[in-house]
Amino acid sequence: MWIYEKKLQYPVKIKNPNPAYAKIIMDQYGGPDGELGASLRYLSQRYSMPCNELKGLLTDIGTEELAHFEMIGAMIYQLTRNLSCEEIRKQGFDAYFVTHTTGVYAAASSGTPWTASYIQTKGDVLADLHEDLAAEQKARVTYDNILRLIDDPDILDPIKFLREREIVHYQRFGEGLRIATDTLDSKNYYLYNPSFDKPVK
Amino acid sequence: MLTEKAKLMNMLSAEQFAAWELHLYLDTHPCDKNAVRMHEKHSARAKELREEYEKKYGPLTTRTGEGCEWVKAPWPWEKGE
Repeated sequence: MWIYEKKLQYPVKIKNPNPAYAKIIMDQYGGPDGELGASLRYLSQRYSMPCNELKGLLTDIGTEELAHFEMIGAMIYQLTRNLSCEEIRKQGFDAYFVTHTTGVYAAASSGTPWTASYIQTKGDVLADLHEDLAAEQKARVTYDNILRLIDDPDILDPIKFLREREIVHYQRFGEGLRIATDTLDSKNYYLYNPSFDKPVK
Repeated sequence: MLTEKAKLMNMLSAEQFAAWELHLYLDTHPCDKNAVRMHEKHSARAKELREEYEKKYGPLTTRTGEGCEWVKAPWPWEKGE
């Protein structure tokens, strides 16, 4: 189970609304390398992990990603307050507005809705951890791109925090991969699929 | 200028963050005694700050408050202090 704490992991206080920026940031809400996918990927993969360290790691990072999902949601919310129809039209937010008004919806920057096909649970520790390592790097690149496109310090500060978290998670998953290969048969890591076969003694 | 409430929230978030970062580290280094000690220190400080914050500004979880206080205090995505 989970307990909700009524605070953000890192403060989000954006003074100036900007729907064009909201659309850019939205990619980390419901895009292919966004926080929602990250959370659901790790929280689903954890069941077939072969050792307790990895079950813990995926549970904890999957939980932290939900806090990041909330931070991105807060940013989108604050960037789309008190807009005029003219601002919505001028800043290219009209296509989103007509479908969702200024509600926060899990879609990519392009408008493509979030889909579970962005994520995989392979039921194999090596396949899943390598996906996780790649996912953290892809999310880091998305944050790099957001930092290239936006110049409001109120947005840059929490985005930089989130970018750093991707790097820390990548580091922890790398250690997790090392723990996994130490646990598996060192002569042949690929000998069995830990979610299905019994380990060879 | 930060309000007293925002300052206290930042101090709480910083301590919680330190504790959380150590917690993730301990997932892959569970026997690192120094990290366990540091985790205990930051968790204890976060607990104190959380109690202080909740006493002044209302509950942060439904385990520490209910009803009127829980619902009426601002939600975290609202930037108003």
